[in-house]
Amino acid sequence: MERFTRSHFPDTPFLFFTGKGGVGKTSVACSLSIAIANEGKKVLLISTDPASNLQDIFGQTLSNTPTKIEGIDNLFALNLDPEQAAQQYKEQMVGPYRGKLPDVVLQNMEEQLSGACTVEIAAFNEFATLLTDTSVIEKFDTVVFDTAPTGHTLRLLQLPSAWSTFLDDNTTGTSCLGPLKGLEPQRDIYKKAVERLKNANQTTLMLVTRPDVNPLKEAARASHELFEIGIQNQVLLINGYMKNVSSNDEIEKAFIARQTEALEIIPKELKQFDQYYLPFVPYSLSSIERMQAWMTNQDITHENEADKGMTIPEVEEMIADYLERKPKLIFTMGKGGVGKTTVASYIALRLAEEGIRMHLTTTDPAAHLNWTFGDDKVKNVTVSRIDPKVEVANYEAEVLAKASETMNEEGLAFVKEDLASPCTEEIAVFRAFANVVENHQDEVIIIDTAPTGHTLLLLDATEAYHREISRSQGDIPPAVSNLLPRLRDASYTSVAIVTLPEATPVFEATRLQEDLQRAGLSVGWWVVNQTFSSIKTTSPTLIQKQQAETKWLEEIKSISNNQFVAIPWVKTPPVGTKGLHELKGENIK
Amino acid sequence: MKKIHIYEPAMCCSTGLCGPSIDPELLRMSFVMNNLKKTDMEAERFNLTNEPNAFVENEAINQLLMSEGMDALPATFVDGELLCKGKYPTNAQFSQWSGLTEEELLQKPKVRLSLKGDA
Repeated sequence: MERFTRSHFPDTPFLFFTGKGGVGKTSVACSLSIAIANEGKKVLLISTDPASNLQDIFGQTLSNTPTKIEGIDNLFALNLDPEQAAQQYKEQMVGPYRGKLPDVVLQNMEEQLSGACTVEIAAFNEFATLLTDTSVIEKFDTVVFDTAPTGHTLRLLQLPSAWSTFLDDNTTGTSCLGPLKGLEPQRDIYKKAVERLKNANQTTLMLVTRPDVNPLKEAARASHELFEIGIQNQVLLINGYMKNVSSNDEIEKAFIARQTEALEIIPKELKQFDQYYLPFVPYSLSSIERMQAWMTNQDITHENEADKGMTIPEVEEMIADYLERKPKLIFTMGKGGVGKTTVASYIALRLAEEGIRMHLTTTDPAAHLNWTFGDDKVKNVTVSRIDPKVEVANYEAEVLAKASETMNEEGLAFVKEDLASPCTEEIAVFRAFANVVENHQDEVIIIDTAPTGHTLLLLDATEAYHREISRSQGDIPPAVSNLLPRLRDASYTSVAIVTLPEATPVFEATRLQEDLQRAGLSVGWWVVNQTFSSIKTTSPTLIQKQQAETKWLEEIKSISNNQFVAIPWVKTPPVGTKGLHELKGENIK
Repeated sequence: MKKIHIYEPAMCCSTGLCGPSIDPELLRMSFVMNNLKKTDMEAERFNLTNEPNAFVENEAINQLLMSEGMDALPATFVDGELLCKGKYPTNAQFSQWSGLTEEELLQKPKVRLSLKGDA
């Protein structure tokens, strides 16, 4: 595998970075943008992440128009906030009717426009507008998007029959395009945007991952989904690859061995693309100088941050708390690649060992619960999986069976169109999730939720559906109506937020905590996974890593109000009961 | 030509698939409205999400909302006269207005559609 260098920079005018939180997507996008700008090309760097830390990196306030970055000629940056866009969009839809329709009616409209679909569509709208706005684009040689649109938004906007139904004939089944109504004049823009994304001479999709089994699996999934939609010009960047420097340090050797093993079983979907790596750096890439040096392979002199000797609570403290408080439902939440499934498995294993009957389930499409437990049978633990694909298929079958009792061919065609909407997956997964909670009442349930925004979509859905239940004429399963009150009961439900001791995962986890609080869910613990801080090492690289972690551990201590525990990085992937037990920390001290 | 206008609350989709469960009433409505299109009647549904303007322009529905709020929806007007509110009309009512038999209103599908691979 080659190091990513100047000669590998893609030459398409549009670069999209995709990858899960914590893989270093923003660092790579910024560093590459700086490198290209340094060559004299005019670069526009765009983030559509509401938790974007571009402002922190550049130490500048950004807005939704290009702002010149101080200290780098030719580099401009822009921050798009999809939630703000959704808010504006909602106002644009409802505003004209204030005073013309009664308040209760306006409220009903607003509720309908508060779903995840609206946020996603509003974000895509902003993004498509930028992608096709010649007055902006023509000023730049390269436009770098620090995030890719998800496959399902693109799919929604590509439903040509739905569009024509909606536009030409909206007196019958208008399909699930309610939130799109206000975007109708932009139909051409979407078409152009989608064409531009598919054109290999125009767009390169940069898949960012870590040399670790699960981030690689997730990269493969994103790659596949976007490939199917037509974005086929993809490049794989493996970030944080540690080269063997013939160190005698046990931990460093183990670190290299783990990444080598992960890369040996790289998913086949990724093999067809060019693959490059960017080297592991033990410090955070939080300044222009560091990012420049990283991309161009220069040495960096870095300041040592003093170790303030903070005591780091071990994960067993959290287990003891669960044993005492006995929540019935435990969530592990956090962005992809932070190790939620491992943490969920550990909690299930340890509570089961204390005699509690446990049920462990996941909504993560890249789930690997069996992998986590290995071949070990664990007493008191049952395991299940909510597979979005299976749930959608079940839901579709159920709907069609019911619909065909009363509908003709044309009617079914409308139903079919609605079923192709992104809402269907949410609903199907949501119902499956409610059923698990309902059906395992005699066990303590641990839910390992899917990465990305999925978790929050589920909660939004819960809220929205709960409100609707009172007036719906459909058959509401008790599992659904019982769910939200249970989730909001702090003695019933406890959330563990999993993060890594690094900038982006901590920022994202902080935002997640705020969202959860807004949704009325209480966060019990923060779990800092894969820390090096409590490990004895002589590796100069890893010692620097420990120093860099200090800042983030302190940050987490404060944000979590001291309700945090840490799990050390382990030499071998935590598989099987023995491997999971090593996460306690005492074995490697 | 007879006109049937149905004013509905804000919904994501008119088939009701996006609700917490499948709403058989909404499925029935999609179906009935489709069959009514084959007659020479004007049969229209106005969803508050998609067509709020219809709720402003039609004085009768506007008045109804002002006095009774959301509970009045769905509201059905036949040739401008409010004949059903707070629920969808029955098949018998549709039959009476349209001249179609209830069987014709509830025609069975001719083919089953495959969901996979052709979306």
